[in-house]
Amino acid sequence: MKFTITREKLHEGLGAVAASVPTKTTLPVLANILVEASKDGLRLSGTDLDISVSTTIPASVDQEGATTLPARKLVEIVKELPNAAIRMTSSGEQRATIECGKSKFKLLGLSRDDFPAFPSVKFEGGWKVAAKDLQKLIQHVAFAASTEESRPILNGVLWELRADRMRMVATNGHRLARMDVPTSGHGGGQADLIIPPKALEQIRRLFGGDEEIEIGKSDNHLGFRSTTTQIYTRLIEGPYPNYEQVIPRENDKSLTADKAALAAALRRMSIVASDQTHRIRMAFTNGACKLSVQTPDLGEAQEELAVAYEGDSLEIGFNAAYMLEILKYMPTDEVRMTFKAPERAATCEPVGWDDPASYMTLVMPLRLVD
Amino acid sequence: MGQPPAGARRILLADCDQMFVAVARLADPEVAGKARLLVVGGRPGGRGVVCSASYEARAYGLRAGMPISRAERLCPKATFVPVPRKACGVKHREIRAVLDEWTPLVEPASVDEFYLDLTGTERLYKDEALAQTAGRLRADVHARAGLTLSIGGGTNRLVAKLAAERAKPRNNPEAPGVLIVPPGQEGAFLADHALAEIPGVGPRLQAALRRYGLIRVPEALRIECGAFERWLGPRTGQWLYRRIRGQGSDEVDPVGEAKSMSHEETFAKDIASDDALEAELLRLVTALGRDLRAEGLAAGCITVKLRDHDFKTRQLSRSQPEPLRTDRAIFGAAREMLRALRARRRVAARLVGVSFSALTASEGKPQFTLLPADTRERETPKDRRLATAVDRINAKLGERTIRPARLVRRPGRERE
Repeated sequence: MKFTITREKLHEGLGAVAASVPTKTTLPVLANILVEASKDGLRLSGTDLDISVSTTIPASVDQEGATTLPARKLVEIVKELPNAAIRMTSSGEQRATIECGKSKFKLLGLSRDDFPAFPSVKFEGGWKVAAKDLQKLIQHVAFAASTEESRPILNGVLWELRADRMRMVATNGHRLARMDVPTSGHGGGQADLIIPPKALEQIRRLFGGDEEIEIGKSDNHLGFRSTTTQIYTRLIEGPYPNYEQVIPRENDKSLTADKAALAAALRRMSIVASDQTHRIRMAFTNGACKLSVQTPDLGEAQEELAVAYEGDSLEIGFNAAYMLEILKYMPTDEVRMTFKAPERAATCEPVGWDDPASYMTLVMPLRLVD
Repeated sequence: MGQPPAGARRILLADCDQMFVAVARLADPEVAGKARLLVVGGRPGGRGVVCSASYEARAYGLRAGMPISRAERLCPKATFVPVPRKACGVKHREIRAVLDEWTPLVEPASVDEFYLDLTGTERLYKDEALAQTAGRLRADVHARAGLTLSIGGGTNRLVAKLAAERAKPRNNPEAPGVLIVPPGQEGAFLADHALAEIPGVGPRLQAALRRYGLIRVPEALRIECGAFERWLGPRTGQWLYRRIRGQGSDEVDPVGEAKSMSHEETFAKDIASDDALEAELLRLVTALGRDLRAEGLAAGCITVKLRDHDFKTRQLSRSQPEPLRTDRAIFGAAREMLRALRARRRVAARLVGVSFSALTASEGKPQFTLLPADTRERETPKDRRLATAVDRINAKLGERTIRPARLVRRPGRERE
């Protein structure tokens, strides 16, 4: 294997792949990146067996070949090299020489045959979607997935593909995010897929917004590819909980507020809130929202916020961290929240969003103790 | 709760001397009370481990954690009694109640140890020396709870803990039961210790330090922080550097009630069957669950421990999405962990244990949930009502009046 590549391109390619290399692993080859030089350029691949990423970058290849090299060391070396052409050669299978300007490194690797094969996924008969649509869904929904191990299905994001729309839903049981994006056909059939957020994060990061992504599926894997990048992920199996039934339809009180002002008030209140529950109290009456917090052994705080509120007055408790998180992902300056009762789900939606997508989030209140 | 102008913190560690032995003697004056050579923690011929032994029995080489069989060989005349768990819990609360009258800042560190913060009480106790206050406090506990404390004191927890060790009659028959290290003397006090005596310096760290020829604190005082960091990693290195200079936390957290509760059982014979192990786990969960509810607590984290016949010990912990307090829900979670442990290595086991941590008050869940929880682990209102009813009946009619059918009379394995 022999090729020459710009430091910038190699750095970019490694950056894309290195994130999928596990920091701790019992299988040594997984700490390596597979480097393959061919007439198409240089292909770099990494995997933790759950998620596999590969990217092809332009390089001037003199001699085709492949090896695997330790990811962290390779990234560090390339990071420290000057901005000049890098020449990489490997004579034996497991040793590579990296030369750049007056620097020269020899790095030991492992045989490419040890590197696990990527899942075989059929792209024929799969789906085709615009990267920007998929990225929009991921950006607004993936945060809501659970990080606790007790219910693995909630560690995934549900992706529903329908004839004329795509939807993503994620929840940890206390808050939920849902977004629909209309599509003009994606080629494939209807499907419900549950995807680990870590894979979605790679998809959001690595595909260009104007690319079209091809998606293929096998029994338990999903593949995403464009001309330069491929991402494979394990699917989470099992039925996703029936989220539709928890979306409130009878909320009869509504609040419209400036997102930034509401978030700022919540941040101030949460300073004095309990570290465990982050409990804050919100009291709504006509035209005003009173926020308050009272934490034994710490102190209390109050604040009043001018809002548009319709409905009977209401006192309700929330985890300030959940509220702030939901507001963070709201795409508009103004938000609308709806409520029913102190123990029922509240919704939050953008106001005046100039986008064909529809977005809503849901948060469950906290019990207020008087 | 600011620091007094004088500046020095006044931290005490009150350690109940041989709590298990003393309580066993109080609880059973006829047998345990009359035995000089007393071992708490099992039956003769059994395979448990020594929980505690009287000073007289310790003279034969007995110590906590030793298998009962070995203890029997070393001290054949010893009397063996089971651990008086319940009575210890009662005594713990009695001692706590007395200590609470001396300072509001009392933190139980274990069943027989309490940290107290007396900073700011100088005027309350008319500027008497801390040693004098500690002495009076010790006499108060002895008079009212019938148990003897060893009390160590100083400007932080580490010094208090080490001083309490020195104050114990076991270590020094002349010891008055109270030892206070004056402010400013922490370093000198520490210098009189072996590294192994410092809490947190366990066998592995001791071995690492031995490689550099370090056994006692004065030898280690010559080492620079950077060297420790290189040898032991930055965190441990810095920690040890401060520790051997007598620096440590002076926080006493009175809210920190029990931090965890645990219960384990060494079997009379190794158990190889999954089913029998699960039954043992259920027995432990049922007993510990009752204690958990009696304290008005719920467990946010559950740990299952398994010791195989070859003493290989493994454990798994799981945080629960919601704190649990009923046997059915806890057992559901615990059983899953036991199964996972068994799936990795299915050999005969000699011990199974369960512990609850991340304990919270069980007064209703603060966070409402969106989705009905997993039916497998879900703790329903019905579960909670059932647990309350069973606890009440058992409190009235005897501990094991109502128990899981799986635990009722298994031929050949009847206990108690």
